[in-house]
Amino acid sequence: MPELRLSGIVKTFGPARALDRAALSLRGGEVHALMGENGAGKSTLIRILAGLESADSGEVTLDGALLRLGSPDLAKTAGFQFLHQENHVVPALSVAENMHLSRPYPQRFGLVHWTKLRTAAVDALGQLGASHIDARSVMGSLGAGDQMLVRIAATLLDDGDAPWAYVMDEPTAALSGAEAERLFKAIAALKATGAAILYVSHRMDEVMRLADRITVLRDGAHVATRDRAATNRDKIIRDMTGRDMTDLFPRHTATSGPPALLVRDLRAGGLGPLSFAVAEGEILGVAGLSGSGREVLLRALIGAVTRAGDLQLRGVPLAANPAGAWAQGLAYVPPERRTEGVMPRRALAETIALPHLARLSRLGFVQRRKTAGLVRRLAQDVRLKASGPDQPIAELSGGNQQKVLFARALAGDPAILLLDEPTRGVDVGAKFDIYTLIRDLAARGTAVIVASSDLPELIGLSDRIAILNAGRISQILPADGLTEAALLTACYQKES
Amino acid sequence: MASFLRHYGSLIGMAAIVVFFWIALPDTFMTLRNWLNISQQLSMLIVVAVTMTVVMVMGDFDLSVGAMASLSGVVAAVLFAQGLPVPVALAVALAVGLLGGIANGVLVSLIGILPFVATLATMTMFSGAAFLVSGGKTIFGRDIPQEFADFARSGLPLGTWGGNLVVLPALTLVAAVVTLLVWIVLEHTIYGRRLYAIGGNADAARLAGVKVAQLRLSAFAFTGMGAALAGIMYASRVASANPVQGDGLMLTAIAAVFLGMTATRDGQPNVLATVAGVVTLGVMDNGLTQLQVDSYVRQVLVGAIILLAVSISALGRRAIRLR
Amino acid sequence: MTGITRRSFWRIAGLTLATAVAIVGSAAFAEGEKIAVITPYLSQPGTQFYVEAFQARAKELGWEVNIIDTAGDVAAVISRMEDVSAQGVNAIVLNVDPAQVGAGLDAAVAANIPVFGMDAGADPRIKANITSNGYAMAAETSVYVANRIGGAGAVVMFVFDAFPPVQVRGAVADAVFKNHPDITVLDRVTPDVSDGGIADSRAKMEAILAANPEPGSIKAVWAAWDQPALGALQAIEAAGRQGEGIVITGIDANPQARDAIAADGNFEASVAQDFQGIGSTTADTVARVLGGETLKANVIYVPTKLITSSNAKD
Repeated sequence: MPELRLSGIVKTFGPARALDRAALSLRGGEVHALMGENGAGKSTLIRILAGLESADSGEVTLDGALLRLGSPDLAKTAGFQFLHQENHVVPALSVAENMHLSRPYPQRFGLVHWTKLRTAAVDALGQLGASHIDARSVMGSLGAGDQMLVRIAATLLDDGDAPWAYVMDEPTAALSGAEAERLFKAIAALKATGAAILYVSHRMDEVMRLADRITVLRDGAHVATRDRAATNRDKIIRDMTGRDMTDLFPRHTATSGPPALLVRDLRAGGLGPLSFAVAEGEILGVAGLSGSGREVLLRALIGAVTRAGDLQLRGVPLAANPAGAWAQGLAYVPPERRTEGVMPRRALAETIALPHLARLSRLGFVQRRKTAGLVRRLAQDVRLKASGPDQPIAELSGGNQQKVLFARALAGDPAILLLDEPTRGVDVGAKFDIYTLIRDLAARGTAVIVASSDLPELIGLSDRIAILNAGRISQILPADGLTEAALLTACYQKES
Repeated sequence: MASFLRHYGSLIGMAAIVVFFWIALPDTFMTLRNWLNISQQLSMLIVVAVTMTVVMVMGDFDLSVGAMASLSGVVAAVLFAQGLPVPVALAVALAVGLLGGIANGVLVSLIGILPFVATLATMTMFSGAAFLVSGGKTIFGRDIPQEFADFARSGLPLGTWGGNLVVLPALTLVAAVVTLLVWIVLEHTIYGRRLYAIGGNADAARLAGVKVAQLRLSAFAFTGMGAALAGIMYASRVASANPVQGDGLMLTAIAAVFLGMTATRDGQPNVLATVAGVVTLGVMDNGLTQLQVDSYVRQVLVGAIILLAVSISALGRRAIRLR
Repeated sequence: MTGITRRSFWRIAGLTLATAVAIVGSAAFAEGEKIAVITPYLSQPGTQFYVEAFQARAKELGWEVNIIDTAGDVAAVISRMEDVSAQGVNAIVLNVDPAQVGAGLDAAVAANIPVFGMDAGADPRIKANITSNGYAMAAETSVYVANRIGGAGAVVMFVFDAFPPVQVRGAVADAVFKNHPDITVLDRVTPDVSDGGIADSRAKMEAILAANPEPGSIKAVWAAWDQPALGALQAIEAAGRQGEGIVITGIDANPQARDAIAADGNFEASVAQDFQGIGSTTADTVARVLGGETLKANVIYVPTKLITSSNAKD
């Protein structure tokens, strides 16, 4: 079994020290989780492995021999394969062709040998246990999870230099539960062939389930590498944050008031009819398997999809378009931060101020000072780490980008706060900040609706949890005392 | 140093071009008279480019502006020939621009056709309409009222300079007013900030309560009006109108906006940067003509300068990404 | 930040500087009069001929000539006139309708620079316009057509009224045909000239031929310039109707038209402007005015010549 060792890795950017004697070892046949808060140096370490960055000092050895890195080609020669959050695929080409993009197509008589191309693709998918994917279908028709499986399968195509180490950076960030399950199966298949998997994730559950060993980085330094059996959540969180965090979730303090939102016979895109109410100061969780309508519900409430039904906000009919809904006091944090939330190249202040421009202007003219004041105050409230209000959002970490969206939702204490996957791709420290914000807001009387695929988050945060099944609410459970297993079971149960 | 270059490289380049001509043409380039000339020559292009910036801020663009400028010019001229009063004819010509712009807006925002395709089609239609309205003829001479032709030659007297009366040309004044107006709208009103948000991420803007469809539609109307105004200015300057005379404005205007974008900190369209882009192109034309550079060589050089500016800006951006 | 930007910036800056120096070098601070020739139509064949002839004569006179082509943009002609007025040239030669460039003429007059028209048009601010007599040219070909068909029959006209010098030709031909009571104008076609005019004229003529299938139903094609005549010729030959004796005439006698006329087919006549003559006469006229002479007439006509198969190859 090959073994890769990194030790004493130092990397500075100007005055900032991204890595400060970081270390890691990776053995064939293991799943090794790399954890740490945002800014802990995980990405920099991976970029060094990928040859996109050169270390200032430190040593990298493969089976004891010094390994030269520093370019993507060298990384490939060393047998590393990188799977990033973003999928790099050609949506219009078939699965089989996508798998052959970076290698010669099989040929016969100087023409593409389509049958061979397809059988090779089918074989590789089969090795991963992903035979449900049709190699002939168009890549763009596949979900994010299947696309990732295709990209992994492409590395297994038989051309003699299959990688021995896979680096997966937040692979489940954009995947549904079922898709993630398939990925886990594929990871197990890779591991069985003797390959190593370096698994970078914020998701504690996945890590506890998949990893053989866990390495934690903090402030660019190596904190600990432990066998999974010899550690637990609390220890990992302590390693990551340097402080005890016995409970990630702030105490429930809310006492529910009069109903803020009344929903009767809501229908929208495969959803409903469904009816429910949320009280002022209440946090209502929304759980459900992929395809249950969980992804649609909040979009329907904000008016981003066409809907029918009787919706009332404190007795007033609710507007059926986002512009009207924001104006009435709804605030929305969308699930897809990059595509639905932020304006990546623009100043973060602009994203924050956007829904509130009407309040921030006089006679149609935006009042700069008022806007700047609001942005500064909100940035403080959410403990945003940024160089200033003019910093482009793309330069912020995922957690801080999410905080920008929270700051935007918080401005002016909304009557209803709609949160779709509020902590997707967010590190532990930022998660805690975000949970606290949600709680504080509820305590001030805002009704909060949280849709999430993260079950511990739902249980920890919500007062009640509505369970969606096939577009309807099958039951609404009090969150107090609910276990993850019970919640998952409820998600699988049809309306009783 | 490198970051300084990335941020200000284009501006330094633009200044370098001016300094270069100043040295090469010590007597005739850096004179008030020459700059007033340049400002007047560029006034129509400025109006088109600045109003084009309004849609480019949203990440769209409008290929029909040149044809619209031609159309509004012949519409005004044909109405003059029919004996309508000048203000009425001009109002109708501007209304044509507004309607054409709204048509573009409807196609792009409500029907959802790509701006490239939609405005390419309307460009052809506006151009055909210009030929129809004018009967393919150049309208000039007695058909053009003297007061209209005189407008382009009139101006605001600034005083005397070396014995000559110095006049701020009326067309320059119009361009300045339009620039100021669009700058205020884009930088200081809700309307403008929302357009920038659409350009930043249209989906996100919609979910944040921006009425994307309406705003896109109105922005195209803005651009159509600007094109029509430029067409009228053009007709006044040449005291005639023919159905193709504004066509050349479109590509130059887009080039100017792109050139301007290289000079902004975030690489996005901005009114003042657009004006800087237009002036750079205009100074090149003026200076190279005075240097007696062959007009074809001049074209090659102007294209090369645009590529140069965009390349430097792209390299700068890549350097940042690789960091 | 990497060195990419810095290194390439200096490399590019160096290149730019080198180019700039080369330009200044080529601008050669030569002796002699500085003359600016400004035209939006340099890519058209006729314009090229007289600009070349002008340059040849100017070289003999020791002038420094700057040819400026604005590629169809008339407002840019004004701009360039202002530029060269600021620069202080000795004379400006125009090849565009002066009615459209009044502001530029004003700038030249204010700077005390004489302006000459080379096939341009008349204007009090222009010292002289040197051109062919468009009326006479159109009269020559339209009368040729009328005589050849014996003053009777259907004629197809190709015109382009948007361009004043060509509009004049159409007006003259209209008058000539109207003066023959038995001549009918079957159609008055304005072809699309964006591709040069041949292709669209051919298409239009094919349609007309299809609509008039009877031999003798079309007696002649009169074109206001050569390209539509060539297009009509192609259409007639493609339709296999070259035996009907349809008479085609053009104006300008460009090389392609001369070949067609020499071939003794349907294309029978065209009128040659003396482009070289216009160019050199313009240069001579400029020389006279710069020499202090005052001109009496402000239009100077250069003679034209009817081209038929007998002299097409001269």
